[in-house]
This record gives sequence, structure tokens and C-alpha cells, in this order.
Amino acid sequence: MKRDNSSTFLIAAALCAASLCIILVSVASGPRLLNPFILDSETCRTLLAIRLPRTAVALLMGGALGASGAILQGIFRNPLADPYILGISSGASLAASFGLMFGISLFTLSVPILAFIGAIATGAAVVILGHGWKGLQPERLLLAGVGIGFFLSAVLMLVMTISVDDGLKRAILWMSGDLSMVDWELLPAGLLLILGGLGLALTRRRGLNALTLGDDIAHSLGFNPIRERLFLFIAASLMTAASVSMGGVVGFIGLVVPHVVRRHVGSDAVVVLPLSVVAGGTLLCVADAIGRTVAAPLELPAGVIAALIGSPYFIYLLGQRKTH
Amino acid sequence: MTTLEFTNVSFSYGPERFMDQLSFSVAEGELVGLMGPNGAGKSTILKLAAGLLSPQKGIIMIGEHAIGTYSGKERAQQVAYLPQILDLQAPFRVGELVRMGEYPQNGAQALTVEEALLLVGLQDKTNTHLAELSGGERRRAYIAMTLVQGARVLLLDEPLASLDIKYQFDLYRLLKDIVREKKVSVFMSLHDIGMGAMLDRLLLVKHGRLIAQGDPGSVLTDEIVQDTYDLNDSIGLYMAANRSVCRALAVASLQCRM
Repeated sequence: MKRDNSSTFLIAAALCAASLCIILVSVASGPRLLNPFILDSETCRTLLAIRLPRTAVALLMGGALGASGAILQGIFRNPLADPYILGISSGASLAASFGLMFGISLFTLSVPILAFIGAIATGAAVVILGHGWKGLQPERLLLAGVGIGFFLSAVLMLVMTISVDDGLKRAILWMSGDLSMVDWELLPAGLLLILGGLGLALTRRRGLNALTLGDDIAHSLGFNPIRERLFLFIAASLMTAASVSMGGVVGFIGLVVPHVVRRHVGSDAVVVLPLSVVAGGTLLCVADAIGRTVAAPLELPAGVIAALIGSPYFIYLLGQRKTH
Repeated sequence: MTTLEFTNVSFSYGPERFMDQLSFSVAEGELVGLMGPNGAGKSTILKLAAGLLSPQKGIIMIGEHAIGTYSGKERAQQVAYLPQILDLQAPFRVGELVRMGEYPQNGAQALTVEEALLLVGLQDKTNTHLAELSGGERRRAYIAMTLVQGARVLLLDEPLASLDIKYQFDLYRLLKDIVREKKVSVFMSLHDIGMGAMLDRLLLVKHGRLIAQGDPGSVLTDEIVQDTYDLNDSIGLYMAANRSVCRALAVASLQCRM
């Protein structure tokens, strides 16, 4: 048992060290490669005004999506669950797209705030619909999320077909996970919400492990499954809403990262939650760095790159499940 | 000393009463079986005992207190419940699962993880994924978790279902060891009359009513079993053959251990 713990600690330390190196390289990468040893005024300006806020937002978003995926896969006992399965992204996309396409820009944070309101409102609707006579049941929650998600996506498509051209392009970019517009203004609120959600999830880490074994065994271990599921759902919704409102819809991180982490360090939520934050943040950081570098001056949305990296692994996982 | 006691317990899922005035008890260190046809109420009785369902009338005592008066943690220290179907997809390793038994404890669990794994014979499988275990081994891993949990009453819903006769007998021996060495009370539902005949005591239920209870010899009579299961033929031949197999396995097992 001790040997098991020490190997987990070593893997976690190696992942953190590798992530730090990758983040530093990502900060330096872009249309103009920055030399961290020559900090002239232009380099400093680029670093402070563009690279650092983008990197920070990418880390926060990716981390939030990774942790949300780990939570939702646990409470739904479904390895293919991800933060967007609950329709939260559809609600955020619809609200943000309204803002972008109809020019609702009273102040600079109006789109993120609209997205956050859309995400939280959708999350609340999913909880209300997912609440059956036996409380908050995973199957009902999933079906409610999928149903509401389809409905909101249909409304979004309808709105997009009647919108003006300029707003439409911005909305499509936003929905692909576009970090090109981020700045420091987004960070405080996003950081607060994500830390709040992560903190709540970490206090319920044992409940998350127990729920993964099913409600009856969670009850036998002394937990109230309905209450634990509600707290964890709130934590995942807060983090997903904050993530989507900062930089749009980024796919696959929430689905793939928890699987990769579990494969290396086991499935105990005490380890999986923090390491999913590290791995998810790092993956989105890399995706954003690649997106702004490979086709410069054209910027490819980080969400598209993350999905291009994530999709093959997802297909590989499906293949593995088939062979089992 | 009684550790589980039902007194005049009535329960219904809908408007129609399913269980009426059910009373029985399980003593400390006793291995008690619950038998009856499908739909007789075996799982309902176990869920009531675990606190997963609440009776409309009557009282269910675990130790000195009614099950409903315990907090979640306190209840988990008194009683553990394992459903019939254990999740094949649970992504944990054996060690991670068994360690979850420490959750309701305050640093003073009945057995350490290592001790529990040794008792169930999985000491070499700490880092093995649950999905890689056989059905019998998986069941034993979950039982190890309940031993770490330190529960005084272990409720098992058809633990022998879908196990071959060797694993059935291994599990029976493990439960006998736990009952004898740790003074845990085991209350389990089962269908196999031959295995039922080897337990300390049996309860026979039908339509939510207790038909008979006592030592297996007095409960598993031709008349009672035929009446409970609506059989037209004698079960004598079936029981004789089943008992012979169990006795043979018991002898073989004892010889292996010597």
C-alpha cells in the first residue's frame, strides 16, 4: 500500500513538473517566439498584455473542464460523460450568441456574463427536471441534460440563420473555444468561481468515490447519495459555466483528461480531481499555443486544436472498450 | 446478544400493503439466511434493515437504537449492505475500494486494509483493477471493505448468485470465518437450498410474510418448502443430492486447509 502511494506521488510530481515546462514553452510560443532571457519592453508588453492572460485563462478553463469531467463521470457512473452532456454549454452558447449577434455589448464583460447566466440557468433547469420522486437520479439528470441541450441547440441554430454576418462569425469562433479575445478582466471572477467549484468538489471527494460504486453502497458507507450528487453537480456546473463564459466551448478536455489521469494514478478522487485540473489546464495551454502559432497570423481556435488532439484518443478508448 | 431486530414492521411500495407485522431477530455472531420465492420481499427486508427504505409501521433496531436514529456515519459503523449486482465498471483498484471502508471511521477501524485483504485472501491483489477480478473475488473485495468499515451487521443480497459452486463454497467459508472470529452478524438472502441448509438459521418468507424460521433442519422440510414455493413434488431427492455435494466440498475444503 505504501509503495502504491509513493508511486502515485512520483507520477503526480512528474506530471506537475512536465506541465510547468509545457506552460513555459506555451507562453513563449506564438506568432512571435519570445526569448525569456531577453526581456525588452516589447517582449514584456506582449507577455503582460497577451500571452500571460491567455495562458492563465487557458489553464483555468482546461483545469475546470478536466475536474468537471472527473466529477460527472463519477456521479453518472458513465465513462463517456463530460461537462457538456448536461446542456450547460448549449445554454451558455445561446446566451452568448445572442449578445454577439445582436450587438449587446453594454460593457466589455457582457458576453461572458451572458454566457454565465445562460449556463447557470440551464444547469438549474436540468436539476429541476432531473429531480424525480426518488430525488436527484443520474438517469433523469442525463436525460434532462440531453433533452434541454438539444432544444437550446435548435434555438441557437434558428437564431444564427437570422443573424447579421459579422456577429455570426464571432459567435461561431466563440463556440469553437476562442481565446484570442481574453484579457486580465476575465480572470478574477473566473478564478473565484472555479476555485469555489473545485473547493466544493474536494470537500465531497469521498462522496464522489462512494457514488461511483452506486447509491446503495454510498448509503452503506454513511453518505446521503442525493445530497452528495447535488453538491457535486453544483461544483461541476459552476466550473463549467465559468470556463464556457471565459473562452467559449472547448470540447474533449472534460471527456479525455480524467481517463488519462486515472490510467496513470488510479481512480481515487483525492488524486484524480487535482491532477485533472493540472492535466486539463496544460492540454488547453498547449492547444492554444499551437492554435496561435502553426498558421500565424491566422489564429485557430484552441477548442478546435484540443478536439483534434482529443478525438483520436477518444476513438482509441472506444476501440479498447470494444476489445474488452 | 441481538444486533438486528424487526418488531411488527409493515411496509408498502404503493397503496397496497406489501409487508405486514414482520418480526424476527439476528443475534451477534450468527449467520442467518433469508429464503423465499422471487418477489417474496427478501431484498425489501434487507433494504429496510440497511436503512435504505423506511417502514411505515414498526421498529427496526440495530444494536441498542432504531436504525433511523443513527447519523449516516454512525449507521455505517453498525450496518453494511452489499447489493446483489456489484458494478463491473467501477474504475477502482482493490486497495482503493477496500480503503473506502475507512470513510465512516474516525481513525479506529475494526480492521486495517491489509488485515481485511488478508482475511478475504486478496492480499496479493491490492493494485489489481476490480474489472480484472472474477465474480467471487470481486464479492470478497467488497466484503473486505465492509470489514474495514467495522459494521456489526453485514447484509448481503444474494451474494451467491452467479457464482460457481467453488466460489459459493469459498464465500460461505469466508462468512463463517468472519462470524466466528469477528463476531459479525451476517444476514443474507439466497436461493440455494443446499447452501441454506449449512447456515446457522433460516428465515423463509412469502408475499412479505414470515412462513418459518429456525435451524435449517426444521425450516427446510418437504411440507414447508412445497408450500412456500408452490411446488407439487417432493424436494427430497434435490435436497439429498445438494447436501451431498456441499458435504463433499466441506470435507475437501477441510482437507485442503489441513
